[in-house]
Amino acid sequence: MIELRDITKSFHNGPTTTEVLKGINLCVEKGEFVAVMGSSGNGKTTLMNILGCMLRASGGSYRLDGADIESLDDDQLSAIRNKKIGFVFQAFNLLEGTSALDNVLLPLVYAEHYPDDAEERATGLLQSVGLGDRVHHKPSELSGGQLQRVAIARALVNEPAIILADEPTGNLDTASSEEVMNIFKRLHAEGKTIILITHDPDDAARAERTVFLRDGKIFHREEVQ
Amino acid sequence: MKTTLMIKVAAGAIGRQKMRTFLVELAMMAGIATLTVIVALTQGADKQITKRIRNFGPDAIMVHSGGGKVRGPSTAAEANLSKKDISDIRNIPGVLLATPIQTELDMPLKHGSKFSTAWVMGVEPAWQRAWHRGARKGTFISAADNEQLSKVCLIGTTTAADLFGGDDPVGSSILINNVSFKVIGILEKRGQSPVGTDFDNLVLIPYTTASRRLMNQPRYAAMVRVIVSDPARAHHIAAEIKGVLRENHHLAATEEDDFRISTAAHVARMVRMSAKTMGTFLWLVAVIAPLVGGIVLMNIMLMAVAARKREIGLRRALGARKGDIVMQFLSESIMLTVIGGFLGIGAGVGIAFYIHHLGKPISLGWQPFAAAFVFCILIGLLFGVYPARKAANLDPVQALNQ
Ligand SMILES: Nc1ncnc2c1ncn2[C@@H]1O[C@H](COP(=O)(O)OP(=O)(O)OP(=O)(O)O)[C@@H](O)[C@H]1O
Ligand SMILES: [Mg+2]
Repeated sequence: MIELRDITKSFHNGPTTTEVLKGINLCVEKGEFVAVMGSSGNGKTTLMNILGCMLRASGGSYRLDGADIESLDDDQLSAIRNKKIGFVFQAFNLLEGTSALDNVLLPLVYAEHYPDDAEERATGLLQSVGLGDRVHHKPSELSGGQLQRVAIARALVNEPAIILADEPTGNLDTASSEEVMNIFKRLHAEGKTIILITHDPDDAARAERTVFLRDGKIFHREEVQ
Repeated sequence: MKTTLMIKVAAGAIGRQKMRTFLVELAMMAGIATLTVIVALTQGADKQITKRIRNFGPDAIMVHSGGGKVRGPSTAAEANLSKKDISDIRNIPGVLLATPIQTELDMPLKHGSKFSTAWVMGVEPAWQRAWHRGARKGTFISAADNEQLSKVCLIGTTTAADLFGGDDPVGSSILINNVSFKVIGILEKRGQSPVGTDFDNLVLIPYTTASRRLMNQPRYAAMVRVIVSDPARAHHIAAEIKGVLRENHHLAATEEDDFRISTAAHVARMVRMSAKTMGTFLWLVAVIAPLVGGIVLMNIMLMAVAARKREIGLRRALGARKGDIVMQFLSESIMLTVIGGFLGIGAGVGIAFYIHHLGKPISLGWQPFAAAFVFCILIGLLFGVYPARKAANLDPVQALNQ
C-alpha cells in the first residue's frame, strides 16, 4: 500500500544544503504496524511528513494505494491527507477553546461529504478511547494523556486506512503512554495500517517490525544487529 | 451542520482574540458611523435643496433690477424696471402674468414693546397666483387697497411670532419704519428660499403704498415675477424677456445687462453647484473613513495569521485545501467588518439624530444601511484577501512546527 523508492530530501537554507534523506526504500503493506526508530535529528519527522503528503520529496518515487504522489497537485494531496491518513502528533495539536467533540469533528469539515451521523460517530470514537465523559471539555481542561486520546479520535474520524504517529508518547507519563499504546494495538487489531515513530524501545516492541533511520537511509533490524 | 461547525469555530476565534476583535470593531464602527452620518446629512441637504427649488416654482421667472452676479432680491433703491417693461413682458406669448414687486430688506418693525426686522414687499393681488401663496388667515391685499394706497399689511408666520407671540395679529396695527399699518392677514407658511433665507419673515403691503409712501420709488419696480403657461418653455421665454429689456433699456451690444433673470433651472444649477463641492468632499471622507477600518483589519488579520500558524498547519494536515484556508480567514474578516458595520450604523444613526436635534436637516433612507452593509463586505474581502492568501500559502510543515 505504501511504496517508497529512492526517496531523497534536501533542505536549502541560503547557501547551505542539508541532505536529510539519502535514498529511502520502504514498503508497508495494508494492516502492518511498523515502528520507525533513530536518533534525534536524522529525519524521522521529515520522512513522516513525506509519507503524510505534507512535504514533497526531492527525488525518488512514492506510491500510495497505487497513486503516484509526486504527480498530484496541492488540492489532491489535501484530499488524500483528509481521506487516507490520520495524523497523531507529539504535541497533540488540538484547537484551543474548542471542545473535544468539535476537535474530533474538524477533519470532517474538509471531507467531501459531511456525514449526517458526524456527531454520533465522533462521540463514539471519544467513548472508544475512554473519554465518553469528556466530550464537551476544552483542551485546557484535559490532561496530556486525555489530549492525545482526543487527537487519536480525531485521526480516526474520517476512517483513514493509515495512522501516522510521530512520537505520540513523547510528552506523556508512563501510565498515559501505556493507554495510548494500547489504543494503537487495538487499532492494529482492527486492521489499520500504523506507522509509529518513537524513541522508546518498549513502544517499538508493540509493532510487528521496526526499521531504523540512520544517515538518511532505512535499515532493518537484522542489518542493525 | 458543517457550516454551523465552521461558523462556531470562526466565531470562537473571533471571541478568543478579544483585543484584536475590539480594535477592528472600533475602526470599522468609526468608519461606518462616519459614512452613515455623511449620507444622512447629504441626503438631508439634498432633500432641502429640492424643496427650496420647488418653492421657487418651476413655472416662474424672476426679473431683478440691476446687473451683475446672482445675489439676493433687488431693492427699491436700485429699481429700474419700468411700467413699459412690465407691459411688454405681459405681451410675450406664453406669459400668464407678470406682477411687480417693490422690496426693502430688513425694515424695522414695531408692535407695542416688541421690535423686529423683516423684508417688506409691495405687491399687487396677482402676487398670490404668482407665488401660489395667499392668506392663511384674514384677507389678501386687494386692487382697491392698491388704488387707495391703503396702509394695510399681511405678515408671515415668523414675523407674527416675533411681534405678537401667541396673540392673534389680525386687526392690530404695527409700525413699519414708524408708519402705522393695519394687519389684515397672515401669510401661508413657505419655509426657506433657494439661498436659505426665511420666506416667513415677510411683510406684504400694497405695491402703490410701498412705491409712493414707504420706499420712495414711484417710477420703477425692483422686481417682476413672471408666470408662464408651460414650464418647459420657461427658458425660452426668459431669453425673450432679456431681449425686450435690453431694447427698452437701450443697451448697446457691448454693454452688460442692467437686470438679472432667473428661472427654476438657474436656481437649481446655482444651489446644486455650491452643494456639490461640499458633497464631493464629504463623499471622499465617507469613503476613506471605512477604508481606514480596512487597513486596521488587514494589519490585525496579518497578526492573527502569524499567531495562528500552528492552527493553519494543523488544518492543512487534516485535509484543508488552500481554498478552505482562504475561505476561513475571509469569512472571519467579513464577520468582523459586518459586525463593526452594524455597530457603526447604530452609532451613526444616533449621531445623525443628535445633529437633527441641533437643527440640521437629515434624511435616513434605507440606502445608507445598504451602502454600509455592502461596503463592509467589500472591505472585508478587499483587505482580508491578502492575509487569507498569506495564510493559505504557508508551508504546512513549517506552520505546524511553530
Ligand atoms: N524546513 C527545514 N529546513 C532546514 N532543515 C530542516 C527543515 N526541516 C528539518 N530540517 C533538518 O532536517 C534534519 C531532520 O529533521 P527531523 O525533524 O526530520 O528529525 P527527527 O528525526 O524527527 O528528529 P527528532 O527525533 O528530534 O524529532 C534536522 O537536522 C533538521 O534540522
Ligand atoms: Mg521528529
